[in-house]
Amino acid sequence: MILNLRSRRFDQTVRAYSADLYRYAYWLTHDRFTAEELVQETFARAWKNWDSLKNASATKSWLISILRNERARLYERKQLALDDNDPEDLDIPAHGPGSQPGAHLELEQFVGTLPLSYREPLLLQVLGGYDCKEIAGLLGLTEGAVMTRLTRARQALRALLEPPDRLGATP
Amino acid sequence: MNCLEFRRLKLADPRHVDAAGQAHLEACASCREFALEMDGLEERLAAQLNVAVPEGLAERLILRRKTGTPFSAKFFAMAASVFVAVAVGLTSWKFLATPNYARFAIDHVMNEPESFTTVRDADPQLLHQVMQNFGGEMLAPIGTVRYIKLCPVPGGTGWHIVFDAGDGKLATLILIPARHGKTGSEYARLGNWNAVARPGGQGFYAVITSSPDSLAKTDALIRRQLRWRS
Repeated sequence: MILNLRSRRFDQTVRAYSADLYRYAYWLTHDRFTAEELVQETFARAWKNWDSLKNASATKSWLISILRNERARLYERKQLALDDNDPEDLDIPAHGPGSQPGAHLELEQFVGTLPLSYREPLLLQVLGGYDCKEIAGLLGLTEGAVMTRLTRARQALRALLEPPDRLGATP
Repeated sequence: MNCLEFRRLKLADPRHVDAAGQAHLEACASCREFALEMDGLEERLAAQLNVAVPEGLAERLILRRKTGTPFSAKFFAMAASVFVAVAVGLTSWKFLATPNYARFAIDHVMNEPESFTTVRDADPQLLHQVMQNFGGEMLAPIGTVRYIKLCPVPGGTGWHIVFDAGDGKLATLILIPARHGKTGSEYARLGNWNAVARPGGQGFYAVITSSPDSLAKTDALIRRQLRWRS
């Protein structure tokens, strides 16, 4: 009976969060197979440690933490490089789409080339719906650092997509 | 709160503007415009990140809980890819040796059915830029653009454009860069699909529609509204 309830809750959690986790994993890895593998490993570990989840309202954050750890494990196991640059190294393009029509189109390339330290908070906010304080908690950063990274990521996005004449009054 | 503070807050978290931010927004027209722009960018970004999730993912995860056996999507996908590659290789070696752009265009459209159901970068200005880049000039609009995407084509990367060609019928225009000296037009028909490929710009352009009548009309429209520099 208890086992049934436990299984049912887990299955409900899978149905509720697997799509969000897959999208998050996809944008972290840029590979749909690796993303699915990560989500599988995440839920397998979550099932093993299901009893350690005390606060049901924090389930999604808990799963994201597991997924981040699984990603680190996977990259270590396969000896893949974690594609992170220095957080201060984000180049903000100085031009709009006028000179590069392809750049205008390929927003996914912009997301893919963002350093992980910028991409992760952006994914957590846009896909996960978290605010800066919650993201800071998930990533082990200060709220100020998260705000700075999100601001710079969006400045870069804006510079990429908007014509230069609209970029005047940006902080 | 001043404009600088508001814009910093908006850039850091466009969906959560606090009461002080809201008060500033009501009083400042310039920041209202900025906020609208940021909301638009945010919508575009959210749409882009919302990638399709593999079919049956949740069921596979639940099955794994029940059986303890991981499902290797990669293995099945690789097996399917090998099968498809061998089949395509066997049937199209002749086609690859002498590319028929009209036939390629039909195959491409059949492989991307989402181009008819998705609205993507439907920006007339962008179409102008793409045409210019490809060596063309738009003398007049060709219709309402619904979809523009960079796609792999023989010999490199081309443009896949879907537009409303009138009477609610969708037509596809594919721009294919090519360097060889083929000069003639090519026609192809497969099922309901009809295509014509003509030299133009930096290679060929192909028009694809779902009936011979609409192909003739759309082909005439394209020839009337577009001028190629080569």
